Amino acid sequence: MSAQARAGLRPETEGKIFRPRRTLWGDVWHRLRRNRPAMVGLVIIGLMYFTAIFAPLIAPYEYDKIDLENVRAGPSREHLLGTDELGRDVFSRIVWAARSAAFVSITVTSFGLALGTFFGALAGYLGGWVDTLIMRLGDVLFAFPGLLFVFFIAATIKPGLIAWVKAIGLRELARSGYVDYLVVIIALGLVGWPGLARLIRGQLLSLKRRDYILAAQATGVPTWRIMWRHLLPNAMPPVIVAVSGGIGGVILSEATLSFLGIGLQPPNPSWGAMLFQYYGYWRTELWPLLFIPAAVLVAIVLAFNFLGDGLNEALNPQLD
Amino acid sequence: MSDNNILLDVQDLKMYFPITQGLIIQRHVGDIKAVDGISFSIKKGETLGLVGESGCGKSTTGRAILQLYRPTGGHVFFKGDDLTKLKGEALRRKRRQMQMIFQDPYASLNPRMTVGNIISEPLEVHNIYRTKAERQERVQELLRVVGLNPYFVNRYPHEFSGGQRQRIGVARALAVNPEFIVCDEPISALDVSIQAQIINLLEDLQAEFNLTYLFIAHDLSVVRHISDRVAVMYLGKLAELADRDELYNNPLHPYTQALLSAVPIPDPVIEEKRQRIILEGDVPSPANPPTGCNFSTRCPRVMDICKEVDPEFRDLGGDHWVACHLY
Amino acid sequence: MTTVLEVRGLKTQFFTQDGVVQAVNGISYDLNEGETLGIVGESGCGKSVSVMSLMRLIPMPPGKIVGGEALFEGVDLMKISDDEMRSVRGNKIAMIFQDPMTSLNPVLTIGRQVGEALELHMGMSKSEARQRTIELLEMVGIPSAADRVDDYPHQFSGGMRQRVMIAMGLSCNPQILIADEPTTALDVTIQAQIVDLVKKLRDEIGMAIIWITHDLGVVAGLADRVAVMYAGFFVEEAGVKDLYGDPRHPYTIGLLGSLPRLDAERGRRLVSIEGLPPDLIALPEGCPFYARCNYRIDRCETENPPLRLVAPNHRVACWIDVTTAQPTR
Repeated sequence: MSAQARAGLRPETEGKIFRPRRTLWGDVWHRLRRNRPAMVGLVIIGLMYFTAIFAPLIAPYEYDKIDLENVRAGPSREHLLGTDELGRDVFSRIVWAARSAAFVSITVTSFGLALGTFFGALAGYLGGWVDTLIMRLGDVLFAFPGLLFVFFIAATIKPGLIAWVKAIGLRELARSGYVDYLVVIIALGLVGWPGLARLIRGQLLSLKRRDYILAAQATGVPTWRIMWRHLLPNAMPPVIVAVSGGIGGVILSEATLSFLGIGLQPPNPSWGAMLFQYYGYWRTELWPLLFIPAAVLVAIVLAFNFLGDGLNEALNPQLD
Repeated sequence: MSDNNILLDVQDLKMYFPITQGLIIQRHVGDIKAVDGISFSIKKGETLGLVGESGCGKSTTGRAILQLYRPTGGHVFFKGDDLTKLKGEALRRKRRQMQMIFQDPYASLNPRMTVGNIISEPLEVHNIYRTKAERQERVQELLRVVGLNPYFVNRYPHEFSGGQRQRIGVARALAVNPEFIVCDEPISALDVSIQAQIINLLEDLQAEFNLTYLFIAHDLSVVRHISDRVAVMYLGKLAELADRDELYNNPLHPYTQALLSAVPIPDPVIEEKRQRIILEGDVPSPANPPTGCNFSTRCPRVMDICKEVDPEFRDLGGDHWVACHLY
Repeated sequence: MTTVLEVRGLKTQFFTQDGVVQAVNGISYDLNEGETLGIVGESGCGKSVSVMSLMRLIPMPPGKIVGGEALFEGVDLMKISDDEMRSVRGNKIAMIFQDPMTSLNPVLTIGRQVGEALELHMGMSKSEARQRTIELLEMVGIPSAADRVDDYPHQFSGGMRQRVMIAMGLSCNPQILIADEPTTALDVTIQAQIVDLVKKLRDEIGMAIIWITHDLGVVAGLADRVAVMYAGFFVEEAGVKDLYGDPRHPYTIGLLGSLPRLDAERGRRLVSIEGLPPDLIALPEGCPFYARCNYRIDRCETENPPLRLVAPNHRVACWIDVTTAQPTR
């Protein structure tokens, strides 16, 4: 007779679950969906990435197409939002700039996330002097005013990077302006990781003491597998919140760098660069040239913040 | 102790947690002596109950035995091998033979893994089956053994009640066919009617798979029910260890006596007549235990010698061990 | 005997995202002067919610007291204003909780916290309150109370904190003390100290006590009368000796049988109650214990038995007379 039969247990009644079936992520989605600002944010973000992906189909012109016959023209059928002083279509530039923003935000975030996860996991799991070293390094980076540090990195690595690109025989690339993207990504990525590393480390330190980690150790689960299967998935919720809020920040930082002339250089399309280029039109009848990229930027940054807040509430339901 | 039947032999086990101070350079300023030199052994197929109040070091003892905490001193012989000397892969392999069931069924299951994955993980990491299909079959069998519906293998822990979760924890421990299981307060987080279900399950599994248990608990009634022998722990040390009936019928250590008299009996007629030994005060801090006998600050029968000399833990005959100057 | 508290048809529900949680489903009882009533049940049976409702301490929303009355000194506690309730709470009816750490404010000294109620409810001056606080702390067995009155909660052990809570509870000479699992977080030797203390104080002061617990052992030695709760209902209520010596509800019988006892014969197999309590969101139409009951008959599935008198001072909610019936499975 089996133990179960002797215990008088019947799996059918014993295993009964009353509530409707819900997965953990299903629960999160359910709560997120009820959060109106977060959903609006999600729609705006979706729209931005959609625009970025299909920019060639949406934009009527290339971002650097110069039409000298229509310079500083007002809105028309040909040019929905008018043209700038070089006769470039403003609507097209806004659309193409979405592609820059999307590309930069995704690469910077991935880069920062990879570095942050790697260093945070190392510090949190190993502890000891490794932890001290990584965290002090992060503290030093934190101690600089963020943007100043980005300027510093951008300014120092750019000449070297161009020289290196030329040296490996990619003269075309060096001249094309795509190197600007690399500069922005490296600069912002290097600044972004300490925050994430600190967050992940803190998560791991608290998770490491959970019983289920002890249970995995007692079972004989190897260290790397404890990291991958047990620690990191459980450390993710606050990271998701931080990252979703952070993407807006990255887009804003890219715009700032470009506005200040050390990010994406013209003719590369960037909302920040457009702000710089058009800010002289403030108080002229061409003010929409300045207003539109600014409004787009604000909307997107707000969208990411709303989504971040919504995710925070959805992932930590005790807040409501 | 050269008995062939001994599965686990713990000798002078010590587990200290250092107290450090300092911002950059950590100075060692003292130790929390969670476990301070305890010795006992467990025979194959037997259940040793380890009772004590919170903070007495009983859970730490269980974890130090399984090398989840590396002991500060002493030896843990498991089937003749000293676990304290094993490291890395050798220790990991050894874990297949010794498992653990945890107190809190909410905290001890990874919330992001399905029940199936939780139970099959030990099988995977010890390469017990070659194919996924074989593993899945084993998981279903384990669920049935612990009295859960195999249909729920794809569910997540949060969908289950406390008792059901504890069954999942039991199934995980059983997966690799261990010989020895440390049950760390496996029922104290559960409701009364569910406690009995889990106790019965653990007893049945022991009979069916010839398991050896170290059953850690604070509830003396439960320990009496499930154990063959019982050890009483106080402030990092063993106060008394004896056969179950001997210990409950003839408790020698004043702490054991007080502990037994404090346990309420669910019978008003008996309760009316009972004389309680009410202990004064609280348990001292393990960072700063009293000199001499560690129970001397609360002992109703304290003598002068108790405050100076730590009593030896010795066999008074008939395998009844006590650490007390009265005997 | 005078009745100090009459509870009639108390009903509390929680309106949540998943549905309406029927936590307390119409319970009625009397509490006599100087009497100790034990309310026993497992987690989620509504025992805590029932007394929190009495004190109007249910978080609203999502909670709501949807029905019933509680007569205390001629007024219905469910109907009086919040201000009037505040003057009852902590004054005439005091409460102590399971976790003495979270019920004490960590940034105020013990003296301030105990003294606050004295100043508020008894109109004492600061120095009078302090003097009385020291007396109270001495009364609950805190050594060198005059020195410790200026300590903060974290400087006390768990058992000592519970003593402080009791001192706070008793500070205004309440007529009723409600104790919500006050010894659950404590070790057994400390639990014995606290139970011993409460018994002593009860004999001295003569307040009535409602003692909420999941531990059938503790109330056996403490209560005069015991009520067993299941799924928000009282399923059995009797004098303590009757309840333990002659349990009439299958759930009570099951609970007593599932306990390992210090005085039981060895090798006895525990009688476990199969299955789980019902989901309070989807309570069955009939008896809430139907699915787990060993004595059930068809009627139990469709009709929920009311609590009725089966013997003097012994009420049971069951269609079956377990003294004569045979288990049906």
